[in-house]
Amino acid sequence: MKIDCGNYPLQGGYDELIEAPGKPRASAEGLCNFFAGLAGEELESRHHAVDVSIMAAGITFTVYSEAGNIDRAWPFDVVPRIIDRTEWEHIEAGLKQRLKALNLFIDDIYHDQNIIKDGVFPADVLVDSRNFRAACVGANPPFGVWAHICGTDLVRDGDGKFYVLEDNLRVPSGVSYMLENRQLMKRLFPELFSRYDVLPVDDYTAQLHDMLAALSPREGDRPEIAVLTPGVFNSAYFEHSYLAQQMGAYLVEGSDLVVLDDDCVYMKTIEGLTRLDVIYRRVDDDFIDPEVFRADSSLGVPGLMRAWKKGNVGIANAPGSGVADDKVVYVFVPQMIKYYLNEEAILPNVPSYLCMHEADREYVLANLDKLVVKPANESGGYGMLIGPMSTPEEREKFAALIREHPRNYMAQPTLALSTVPTLCEDAIEPRHVDLRPFILQSKDMYVTHGGLTRVALRRGSLVVNSSQGGGSKDTWIVQGVI
Amino acid sequence: MLARVGESLYWMSRYLERAEDTARLINASTMLLMDMPRGASFGWEGLLNVVGLDKAFHELYDQASETAVMSFLIQDERNPSSIFACVRHARENTRTFREVLPRESWEWVNELYLYTSTHLASALDRRKRFEVLSEVIRRRQTLVGLLVGTMSRDEAFQLMRLGRNVERADMTSRVLDVSYAINLPYENSQYYDLIWMSVLHSLSAHQMYRRHVGVHARGHKVLAFLLDDLKFPRSVRHCLHEIESALGGLPPGDEPRQRVQAMLNQADQADFRKLAKNGLHDFCDNIQTSLAELNVIINRTYFRVEQPQKKMTQSQSSQA
Repeated sequence: MKIDCGNYPLQGGYDELIEAPGKPRASAEGLCNFFAGLAGEELESRHHAVDVSIMAAGITFTVYSEAGNIDRAWPFDVVPRIIDRTEWEHIEAGLKQRLKALNLFIDDIYHDQNIIKDGVFPADVLVDSRNFRAACVGANPPFGVWAHICGTDLVRDGDGKFYVLEDNLRVPSGVSYMLENRQLMKRLFPELFSRYDVLPVDDYTAQLHDMLAALSPREGDRPEIAVLTPGVFNSAYFEHSYLAQQMGAYLVEGSDLVVLDDDCVYMKTIEGLTRLDVIYRRVDDDFIDPEVFRADSSLGVPGLMRAWKKGNVGIANAPGSGVADDKVVYVFVPQMIKYYLNEEAILPNVPSYLCMHEADREYVLANLDKLVVKPANESGGYGMLIGPMSTPEEREKFAALIREHPRNYMAQPTLALSTVPTLCEDAIEPRHVDLRPFILQSKDMYVTHGGLTRVALRRGSLVVNSSQGGGSKDTWIVQGVI
Repeated sequence: MLARVGESLYWMSRYLERAEDTARLINASTMLLMDMPRGASFGWEGLLNVVGLDKAFHELYDQASETAVMSFLIQDERNPSSIFACVRHARENTRTFREVLPRESWEWVNELYLYTSTHLASALDRRKRFEVLSEVIRRRQTLVGLLVGTMSRDEAFQLMRLGRNVERADMTSRVLDVSYAINLPYENSQYYDLIWMSVLHSLSAHQMYRRHVGVHARGHKVLAFLLDDLKFPRSVRHCLHEIESALGGLPPGDEPRQRVQAMLNQADQADFRKLAKNGLHDFCDNIQTSLAELNVIINRTYFRVEQPQKKMTQSQSSQA
């Protein structure tokens, strides 16, 4: 099994490694030669070694299904995706610009709402927002930053351009897989790294730590930081424990914490109660404080919001930042960039139709078989309609849903997602991918070198979510070929 | 260190020690059985007594046949102390505190688990048993080596050391207690030396005993070695010193320290020649009870965090 550029079945869209039959892209030539030089058994044995390493490392995620929850090994593909550094620097600038604007937007929404007063953002979108938290109005998190960790999904369309698909501002996951993928590649294909200058990804956890430390309410160079997890049954538990381990932080559950009369947060330790400075929460904000949000939540800490609003504890992402993680709000991001930064958006949005606007709605209803319809507030690829692959019954169901709750739906043209050569059952075939870089912001900003490339392992599929049969690849930002 | 995590670490360590000790015990017993006359009173039932699981066994099985006892002790998930259940429990625990252990430890515990889940069944067969159980021991020892070689002597380390030694002291006292009872009828027979040697074997103590005590396994000398030797890491005294030292590396707490000191004082007064004749059962029983109490004290001191009473507000205190 080889990457045989001549016989690689290009699909007409943009392929990240192969430019034309028989012709790899400049940055991918060394990689293609390397894989072409590997004997079939050699590749298979390394692929097998990957599976063994993944099982041994217990890199898993949980899939919720009717048959119960299953712990699955992380599906990893051995062919990396390569992006040239020059192109990456442009993307990086676009991502920083975007998060900066989003944070200004969130802060504005919880204060004076000037963007609404100035007619740039419609008031009714906010009224119907499911992730707006009234309890956060007037809060002043450090640096005016609310969304400290953002996972932005990018896709490359047939024209070769990157588009922003969505901004994940609640509890974006996947960064641990990005880090693990690199570890696996280094272990299994050490020779490849001598052919390329691949920008390292390992400094993410140190950057994450420093970003969190900057949120500490107390002076001193070693603030107490904890990752708050819903617990071992959460699908991203592997990542929670991984990040805590890498940062040397505590991994806590709600029951490990308590807020006392002084409105400070304490951890229950073997020495008694210890003050906690910063919480990287991986629990939805709806669940973090039963005194303020869902009273039936056992995942949170009573009094946490009190402590946060008084500035006695840093929380990332800040409660309420999900207000900007909404597929309808997304449509307005280019306007936000213009409004707050007086700049043009560096990275374009995917053209979108808002079902709340009558003209758009009529267009969407008339073209359901061509569009992708997304609910405003879901994540993980749930509740979507992919028009070209839908049945008439599904389209009818969505038409009814859209008419009933127009604000809850938006639609986009079906994109010809770019492909990357991927090791399939018996050959190397093109498979569709997206890219999720992670952006950090508190005192400073930081963007991962690359990000998590997710790949739809089923032939022809456009759905890359791990919960729906997706896998992942190592992503290389390369400096140039040696 | 979070109290919840501390408790998990302590138990993870106990469970892995129990799995390893059980594997050693089974290996030694299997070897001994081949030397004994057929119909000897040392049978599989005796092994169940050693680990204190005879009652639990008979709730699930009728006959203490070799197959049944091996299945129960090695792979039966319904027995929380079976090797498989211990390893699985340790693995589930390890998942929840990867952040305090060296990165490889999770991988190695997970690999140990994957190994036991695929290989333990074949340990029911005598021909494969030694090999499979030895591999379990080897993998567990590798893990201990990793921790000793790469971990700071922090609270996490001390809690694991604490768990390991509480469990080990318990196992040593149990093995002695029961083997001694089994051995009595053979006093003055050709099997006498053999059985004491086997006791040493089951605690992996034979080689060190030979080097430091002598080639003949005499009752009172074996007792002294396994209960009182300062240098042998599986002797009860050594375990108590380890416990004492581990407690020294944990946040202050008088109660556990006093309890260990009391146990050491008791050990100081033991007369092994006398014990070899009678009273060993009570002596061992006493050790096990004290360890169980120590366990309760450790739990209370480190894992149950008291919250301060709510301060009375201004209005409440003025009304009072």
